[in-house]
Amino acid sequence: MLVADRIEKELEDKKLKIGKYEFTSRLFVGTGKYPSMEVMAEALEASGTEVVTVAVRRVKINESESLLDYIDTKKYKILPNTAGCYSADEAIRVARLAREAGMSDMIKLEVLGDEKTLLPDPVETLKATTVLVKEGFTVLVYTSDDPIIAKKLEDAGATCVMPAGAPIGSGQGILNKNNIRIILESAKVPIIVDAGVGTASDVTIAMELGCEGVLLNTGIALAKDPVRMARAMKLACESGRLASLSGRIPKKLYAKASSPEKDF
Amino acid sequence: MKVILNGEPKECSEGTTIEKLLDIYKIDKNRAAVELNLQIVPRKELSNRMLKDADILEVVTFVGGG
Repeated sequence: MLVADRIEKELEDKKLKIGKYEFTSRLFVGTGKYPSMEVMAEALEASGTEVVTVAVRRVKINESESLLDYIDTKKYKILPNTAGCYSADEAIRVARLAREAGMSDMIKLEVLGDEKTLLPDPVETLKATTVLVKEGFTVLVYTSDDPIIAKKLEDAGATCVMPAGAPIGSGQGILNKNNIRIILESAKVPIIVDAGVGTASDVTIAMELGCEGVLLNTGIALAKDPVRMARAMKLACESGRLASLSGRIPKKLYAKASSPEKDF
Repeated sequence: MKVILNGEPKECSEGTTIEKLLDIYKIDKNRAAVELNLQIVPRKELSNRMLKDADILEVVTFVGGG
């Protein structure tokens, strides 16, 4: 076997498992806020994603254009969200409708507490998780970076727990790395950072911490060049994952020469 | 008779099925989910569920979101 082939084989990563689903790409990408459907389709392609999030809304009567005309459902797994829901009951209703619309039993559960901060309501989120798990949904649940509620959501049967790096659409990156670390330490389900990503290095940091993946939307959709940013996010995700698996060197206070210091 | 489709009153004739109503308003049933008076109607039942006067229909589909 050629050295190059052997190395590629050695570097092959295991798949990301979310319940019964498996993915090679660890980047989940949203479909909102792009300048056009065409740009969105190109950005999804450039990102290498295999999972795209969508929202559930009333059909606009006599409007012919559909988001799904631009998304190849054979290529991408559709992950409907419950965005815009402020109670467990609303979110459960939207989740059931999403499943009936026929794409999958995966749901990105999102129950918000407040319109200004868009921070999750932990009590309602936990309630909705319990019900949806009982109804057989594969629940990927959006939460704050609080380790206690993250654990409770896992215990309630969530397939994947998705702490926010920073508030939705804020682009502030991973605000509390220590909380994400604590969540990762005891988690037995995949942890995916969802929300707050502003640029590529934010994705890398999440992956270096040991997250199984990153979900983002605004960071790509509202970049000046969404397609190029989508590729940056793909590379950042792969970089961070590789670094996380490689075992970084410890940080030291003093220098340590890389070249031999004697025998000139 | 009159039904409410996504908040708007719509005239339709007696014996109209949900599927027929979706057809009239060019809604692709394969990309939609339907609630009739707050109860989800499974897709396979859309063709034989008749509408009654004052029925309230919510029809949803997927749009861009994060």
